[in-house]
Amino acid sequence: MITIALSKGRLADKAIELLESAGYNCAAAKQQTRKLILEDKEAGLRFIMAKPADVPTYVEYGAADIGVVGKDTLMEENRQLYEVIDLRFGACRICVCGPENLKGRLDRIPNKRVGTKYPNITREYFEKTKRESVEIIKLNGSVELAPLIGLAEVIVDIVESGRTLRENGLDVLETIADVSARMVVNRVSMKMKAAEIVPMLDALREKLAEKSAEDEL
Amino acid sequence: MGTYRFHTPDGLSDMLPEDCAAKRGIEGKLRQLFSCGGYREIETPGIEFFDVYAGGDFVAPENLYKLTDQEGRILSLRYDGTVPVARLAATIYKEEEPPLRFCYIGNMYRFRESGGGKQREFAQAGVELLGAGGAQADAEVIALSIASALELGLTDLQISIGQVDFFRGLMDDFGINGEDAVLLSQLVDRKDSVMLEKMAARFNLSEEDQKTLSMIPTLFGKFEILELLASRVKSPKATAAIENLREILSALDDYGYLKYVSVDLGMLRGLDYYTGMIFKGYTHEVGFPIISGGRYDKVVSVFGRDLSAVGFSIGITLCIAALHRQGKAFSNTPIDVIVGFEDENGLRKKAIDAVRLLRKKKMTVILDVSNKQEQALFEYAKKRKIQQVIFLNKCDCGKDIEEILRK
Repeated sequence: MITIALSKGRLADKAIELLESAGYNCAAAKQQTRKLILEDKEAGLRFIMAKPADVPTYVEYGAADIGVVGKDTLMEENRQLYEVIDLRFGACRICVCGPENLKGRLDRIPNKRVGTKYPNITREYFEKTKRESVEIIKLNGSVELAPLIGLAEVIVDIVESGRTLRENGLDVLETIADVSARMVVNRVSMKMKAAEIVPMLDALREKLAEKSAEDEL
Repeated sequence: MGTYRFHTPDGLSDMLPEDCAAKRGIEGKLRQLFSCGGYREIETPGIEFFDVYAGGDFVAPENLYKLTDQEGRILSLRYDGTVPVARLAATIYKEEEPPLRFCYIGNMYRFRESGGGKQREFAQAGVELLGAGGAQADAEVIALSIASALELGLTDLQISIGQVDFFRGLMDDFGINGEDAVLLSQLVDRKDSVMLEKMAARFNLSEEDQKTLSMIPTLFGKFEILELLASRVKSPKATAAIENLREILSALDDYGYLKYVSVDLGMLRGLDYYTGMIFKGYTHEVGFPIISGGRYDKVVSVFGRDLSAVGFSIGITLCIAALHRQGKAFSNTPIDVIVGFEDENGLRKKAIDAVRLLRKKKMTVILDVSNKQEQALFEYAKKRKIQQVIFLNKCDCGKDIEEILRK
């Protein structure tokens, strides 16, 4: 039995789609239900529907063998995991954003206040990469509000199309990283359940290679 | 009266009788095993000077529990067993001729995120073999770690063995060093093949070298993968690393333990600490390795003595969790007998004598201290699952203990 932790929402749907295309029966995971644990004994799969930020935790502690989660969450949680496959869906960027007039002038603002859902990524970026001390203000959503009402000079957030930013008079100032969904594996499961997990990873990699070959055509 | 008076600090918890018994049982088995292998048990202080751990840059200072003494010097709770043993080997035992064999069993304290089985206070047992280089010593330590797990009943065991010099040699071959090499080692350790591929391209590695790099994270096996990799590296360091692993495997074969081990050259955590072979031990139902060890030849030199070192630690707290979850739980010591007595002249002395006699026979015996009457005592025993009740009443006044117990 392999336990897979999925990030509730779009990433879960995409992950299930991919697993099915690779020949895994995911009927259990597709039930319209409020159950959080969905098990299919015959297929040898158990799915846990978790909050994205919790997926790395479930996998690190071995409560799940495998997880599907965004790279942004992995960067923020910084857990000891095997990060084995880039699933390519859920692609976006994690960026420093702010009012358009700050473009190219970011480094000139001293003692910046940065609003973000990602305090660890923000600290890592400003302290390690830019060698700059900043004040981090942890927010839980609608981060774009912060610079608009003067709570922070800039924000660090994920950017997909950039529409929300533009509609609020904000823009991308710097890109921290490109992110997309990743498959992660618990370090013990990789060794103890190699007979089940390794073939699954190989099948998924093969499917992804086929897909990208199609995309190129 | 503080708000916290009902609580234990984060990551620390009370050990209840069942777990405590399990822990003592495990400690006893490991102590016996280590001591039969010539490893002398030592107990280092629960509190060390901060400098002991911080001196060698082996531990991130934020992971140490810190306090200060009266002179304002910084102290730290015991973080691991290895560093204090290195301190001992270089100070008190500096005249003693190597090899030195030490073992320890004790609680360690790490200030880090806890939960799901990882505690900030946890028990570890471990051994250090100091002043013995080479594969023979490496294999002795790995074999002892396997014997430890088996002794505890953890038979579903998988030991992964790596060699950090292989990766270091490979980097020499590739001409990659400094921060780039560190970054690559992290990617390999995370088995992040995606980023590895990207980085390989950035470093302009040849196609064959890229192939070698991409193999490392996914290659598990025994002699066959050593053959395969030996043909793909030139660096003397990497070649020596492979030879070291070959000798270790061959020695472990002689121990009869080859079936438990597999080589994983992608294990690269703690690269600035380990200098050769490294290994981890895994079992079902716990998400973290229960065994961790390797060769760290530079640790003792931090304390001024050039002495090679190899060792391992086994997580007792993790082993208890694994045994529980694998259904190999320990049972509570049952209470065999409860002895009660009527409030009559001389009966208390008889009851005490009876209790002593039974305890001498290694039975677990409680003496009733609440003056329960016969009926109440039987009910109490039934509720507490006590096997046998002995109640002394007036009729027993004249009898001797042997006679009473025969009843």
